[in-house]
Amino acid sequence: MRNILRKEMRLSASILSYLFIFFGLMFLLPGYPVLLGAFFVTLGLFHGFQWAREANDIVFSALLPIAKKDIVKGRFLFVCLIEFCALLLMALSIVLRMTVFDSPVYRTNSLMNANFFALSLAFLIFALFNLIFVGGFFKTAYKIGRHFVVFIIVCFSIIFVSEALHHIPGLERLNSFGFDDIPLQLILLLAGIIIFFVITFFSYKKACRDFEILDL
Amino acid sequence: MVVVKVHGLTKKYRDFTLSDVSFTLSSGRITGFVGRNGAGKTTTIKSMLGMVHPDSGSVSYFDMPFAGNEAAIKKRIGYSTGTVSWYPRKKIIDIVDIVKRFYDTWDDEAYRNYLRLFEIDEKKTPRELSEGMKVKLNLALSLAHRSDVLILDEPTSGLDPFSRNELLNIFEELRNRGTTVFFSTHIVSDLEKCADDIIYISKGKIINSMPKSEFSQKYSNAGESLEDTILRLEGGVFNA
Repeated sequence: MRNILRKEMRLSASILSYLFIFFGLMFLLPGYPVLLGAFFVTLGLFHGFQWAREANDIVFSALLPIAKKDIVKGRFLFVCLIEFCALLLMALSIVLRMTVFDSPVYRTNSLMNANFFALSLAFLIFALFNLIFVGGFFKTAYKIGRHFVVFIIVCFSIIFVSEALHHIPGLERLNSFGFDDIPLQLILLLAGIIIFFVITFFSYKKACRDFEILDL
Repeated sequence: MVVVKVHGLTKKYRDFTLSDVSFTLSSGRITGFVGRNGAGKTTTIKSMLGMVHPDSGSVSYFDMPFAGNEAAIKKRIGYSTGTVSWYPRKKIIDIVDIVKRFYDTWDDEAYRNYLRLFEIDEKKTPRELSEGMKVKLNLALSLAHRSDVLILDEPTSGLDPFSRNELLNIFEELRNRGTTVFFSTHIVSDLEKCADDIIYISKGKIINSMPKSEFSQKYSNAGESLEDTILRLEGGVFNA
């Protein structure tokens, strides 16, 4: 497993996949739809898939002494690694906004606050990326455009709904600032994490099945 | 000793069918897999490597079915489908550094020897290599993990006559060391030079699989070269 992940990191990955992790720091921006940061991280991963496809990465991997399902595992592990790095930066940004950066510019934020509910939505966006794009890729191991367009539509719908959600009467607490309503925020975060793992695992299993029967 | 068994491979495409392909490969022999373009050589080889899923049939190596033993078998065989066409802008040294970690039998000293023998500069990238050098790099990678069986899809295609000759000499050297070499080609003179056995495929069907000497005895007219025999067979008897 370590070998295939190393191969993904050193041969298959594009430099943009790494650089775009830093869009996780967009959670620090006030008056900005912070979930766009999650989208930009997936954009870096999309570029990595494109890069790997042009380098015939899948055929190279298929010739290595590993089972076909390990190729799928390697790609999912790499994607999750990038996503976790970005989520870590997002979590760090949230904690900074809650503590040392507790300033009026954040308190009068006209858009969605970067709180743990926002982080749970980032988990959801990444889960859907893994389901729609990464899982979809392994149906052909070649076509990436259509799956990414579908993901963009879904992702921007989530961002739009998320920004609107706390304006609905009764849902204001979703936009709690800092440590306000922390139990609710943490429950929502836990839900996001569970959804991420369930969807990603389901997508991985389906991708293994799809890729196994694929002729290269 | 039989090291590879291919039994009843069948794969249907819209305009082509690989029909009931069966043959065996014996250890320490060079087998040439000959047929014209589109005869089914690459489909057969890809099926042998699990890259194409046949509708029916089976492949086994060292008495182990390929299905279920993919990783263990791949560690003992070397293969190349076409020339190096992956990671064109990565340095060879970086690619090899990743590849070698997958093989517990990787012999770094042997790899260095092959680099010297083939005059490959590992600081280059694959796109900077000629077609012949790409084939040699593939061979060096296969040989460095001490594979028992080499499966090569048209390794001599695109090579100049000097490189082809050099490559065929290497096959003979490997055979003498006990390695089984299986290579597809549509260049019949490659077979004349070094093959012990010939598997002849035409329109997705195995026409014959036998030692080269028997093949000549059975099909060649007096004074006819192997190339002329196969050209005649391809144009007449089996495609009438």
